[in-house]
Amino acid sequence: MYVREAHPTDEWQMKANVKDDVCYAQPRTLSDRLAIANDFTKRFKYPLPFGVDDMQNAANDAYAAWPERLYIIDENGKIAYRGGMGPFNYNPVEVRVWLASRYGQVKHPEAKPAPNEKEPEKKDARDKKS
Amino acid sequence: MWIGISVGALLVIAFIALSVMAGGPKDAIYMVRYALPHMHRGNLKVGDAAPDARVFALSGTETFHIRERTGAKPLVIVFGSFT
Repeated sequence: MYVREAHPTDEWQMKANVKDDVCYAQPRTLSDRLAIANDFTKRFKYPLPFGVDDMQNAANDAYAAWPERLYIIDENGKIAYRGGMGPFNYNPVEVRVWLASRYGQVKHPEAKPAPNEKEPEKKDARDKKS
Repeated sequence: MWIGISVGALLVIAFIALSVMAGGPKDAIYMVRYALPHMHRGNLKVGDAAPDARVFALSGTETFHIRERTGAKPLVIVFGSFT
C-alpha cells in the first residue's frame, strides 16, 4: 500500500535516494502519486496486489502507516498483527513467524536483487580470490 | 542560571543523539521538520476491528476498500513508499 513519500527531494532526501536513482518530489496530486507507484511496481516487477492511498491519506491515518509499517488482518476483520513504526521497528520476520504459525514454514525462492543491485559474490568466487 | 545551563546541555545532547540516529546534523533537522510530524504510534491494537479505507488501484480509475480484501484469508498489508 503506497502512502506519502518518506524521503522526497523537496523534504528529507537521503544520499541513498540519489545513489539508487529514486528521486521524487512529494506528490501533490493523485496522478503524481499514481505515477510514482507505477514506477515502483515496474522497476521491481512487483507481483502483489497494490493499492495507492488517496490524497487525504485515509489509509495512512487509519493505520498510522507512515513511513512504513506492517499489519495482518485476520479472517474476522480483526488486527492480528501490528508491526512497529518503520524503519527502526519494521520487522518482516515477525510477519513470517505469524504466517508460519498459521500455515507452517513459509517456503519461497530467495529474493532476487533489484535491477541496479549487484549480484552477491558467490562463496566459491571469493574462495578462489583468496 | 544552572537550570538554564542544564536545559541547554540537555538540548545539545539530544541534538547530538538525534544527529547520530538520523545520519548527521542536517538529517537531524530534516527529521524534526519533516518526519516527526508524520510519525504516529497509532491507537490500533491486536484484536481491534481493522479500519477501512478506500484506496486506488494502480490505474487510478478504480478504487477498492481494504475490508473488501479481507475475509477468506488473513491479509498482510505492507505500507510504504518508493523513497
